[in-house]
Amino acid sequence: MSVKTSEDKYIQRDRMRYIKNSACSNLCYLGLLADVFYFVLLYRQDVHTYYYTIQIGASVVYNLIFMLAVFLASEGVKNYKKNYSIVLLVAGVMQIVRIFVMPLKALRAPTTVNGIDTTVMSGKTFTLCLVYLGVSAAALLFSAALNFIRCSALEAHLKELEQTKA
Amino acid sequence: MAELSLQHIDKIYDNKVQAVFDFNLDVKDGELIVLVGPSGCGKSTTLRMVAGLEDISNGRLLLDGRDITQTPAKDRDMAMVFQSYALYGHMTIYENMAFSLTLRKENPNVIHKKVLAAAEILGLTSQLNKKPAQLSGGQRQRVAMGRSIVRNPKVFLFDEPLSNLDAKLRGATRREILLLHKRLQATMLYVTHDQTEALTLADRIVCMSMGHVQQVGTPLELYDSPNNVFVASFIGLPPMNFYDVKVAGDALQGNGFKAALTAEEKKILAAYQGKEISLGVRPENFIEGDDIKVTVTNNENLGMNTLVYGSLGDTGVKVTAKLKGWKNYKVGDTAGFSIVRKHFFDKETTNAIRGDK
Repeated sequence: MSVKTSEDKYIQRDRMRYIKNSACSNLCYLGLLADVFYFVLLYRQDVHTYYYTIQIGASVVYNLIFMLAVFLASEGVKNYKKNYSIVLLVAGVMQIVRIFVMPLKALRAPTTVNGIDTTVMSGKTFTLCLVYLGVSAAALLFSAALNFIRCSALEAHLKELEQTKA
Repeated sequence: MAELSLQHIDKIYDNKVQAVFDFNLDVKDGELIVLVGPSGCGKSTTLRMVAGLEDISNGRLLLDGRDITQTPAKDRDMAMVFQSYALYGHMTIYENMAFSLTLRKENPNVIHKKVLAAAEILGLTSQLNKKPAQLSGGQRQRVAMGRSIVRNPKVFLFDEPLSNLDAKLRGATRREILLLHKRLQATMLYVTHDQTEALTLADRIVCMSMGHVQQVGTPLELYDSPNNVFVASFIGLPPMNFYDVKVAGDALQGNGFKAALTAEEKKILAAYQGKEISLGVRPENFIEGDDIKVTVTNNENLGMNTLVYGSLGDTGVKVTAKLKGWKNYKVGDTAGFSIVRKHFFDKETTNAIRGDK
C-alpha cells in the first residue's frame, strides 16, 4: 500500500468540493434495501391472526416514514449535509430497537399449527429478520458517522481555503 | 506534442463514392492547421480519418513518424471536440471533464489535479459543480475542450466547434481557442466552413473543394495569392469579383470596362497577349476613380466601410466594392472606381497566372 502524503490528503479533501458523497448515499440505499427484505419477510408470515393487530398498522406507517426519511437523507448526505447524519443515526438506532418489538415477541409467542405446539415465528425466520435489521442499522449508522466525518473535514477545508484567499 | 503526416490519403466509401482524393499534408509540432471548404468538400471526413473514426482507404497516416493508419481510435492519443459538445447531461462539469480519465482508472488525485488545471486554463473553475444545461453554449464548448485537455493528447481535433454558437459568442470562443493554442502549444487540426475562423485561427490553411486540396498556405498566402478561382472566391468577404477580359497590349478590355496594366502586370500576362483571362478584383481593392463606371444598385454603410453593389454600366456584370469611410450613393447613381490590385486566372484551367510558370 502506498503511503499518503500530506498533499494526497489535501487533494482528497479538495475533491469533496466536486465529488458527491456517494459512499454515504449508497450505504443509505443498502439500509433501505435490507429494511425492504425485512418487512417483506415479516408481512408474509401468516400464522393465524397474530400479526393482524394495531401494532402491524403502526409498523406499516413507520416503514413508510422510515423509507421516506432515509431516502431524503441519502440525497442530503450525497451533498455533504451534516444534519442528515442525525436523521440516519436515529433511523439506525430505531432499526435495532425494532428487533425487540415484533420479531422477538413473535419468536416468544406460542401457537398451535395442525395440533402441533410451536411459536409464531420460527427460529430461522427470526435469524433472517435479525440479519436484515442488523445490516440496515449498521449501514445507516456507518453512513451517519462517515457523513459526519466527511462534512467536518470539508467544512475545515473550505475554511482553510477562505483563509488562504483572504 | 506531435508531428502529423498525411500521405496520399484517399477515402472511398463502400458505394464507390470517393470523398477525399490524394490528401497530402505535413503538420509541424505545435501547428494549428485549419481545414476549410464548403459543405461536402471532405474536410470532416479527413479529420475523422485522422481521428480513426473512418477507415483510410489508401495512403498512410504517421504520428511522430509512427504509422497509425490501422491503429484504433482509442490508441491514437488524439482528442476530438465535436460541434454538438457531446457532454453528459446528468453529470456535473467536473465529472464530465474527469470522465475519460475515470474510465482509464487513473488515480483520483491525479484526475483532480488535471481537471482543476484544465478548468483554470478555460476559466471554468467556478462552474465545476454545475450541470451542462446550466451553462451557455460557449461555456459548454469550453467544457468539451477541457475534456480533451485533461487527456493531454498528442493532437487536438476540432470538428466545427463553433457552429452551434451565435455570432457574438463565436467570436469570443474563437479568441479563447487561439489563446488556448498559444498556451498549450499543441498540434491542432481544426475543421470549419467559416473562412473568418480559418483566417483568424490558422498557422496554415488547407482549402478543400470536392475532396481535393486546392491550396495549403498561410492565411495571407491564401488571401493574397490564391492558387485558383475557387480559393480566390472562397477566401475573402465579400467574395472576389470576377470578370472575363481580354489582354490587349497595355490594357485589359472587358464587357463594360478597360483597365490599364502596369509594367509588372504586363510581364505576368506576357504569354496571354490577345487571349481571354479571368480578372479577379477583391471588393476592398476598388477605390473611387475613373477606370470603370458602375451603376449603383445598393449602398450599405457598415460604419468604417461602405459596401457598394452595382453593375458595370448597362452590361449587367455585377460589381461589389468595399470603400473606406461613409459613402452615400443612391440607387441609379453612376460611381467611378479604379482597381488597385488585380488577380489573373487562366480561363480554361482556372489556375492563377503568376507569370513565372
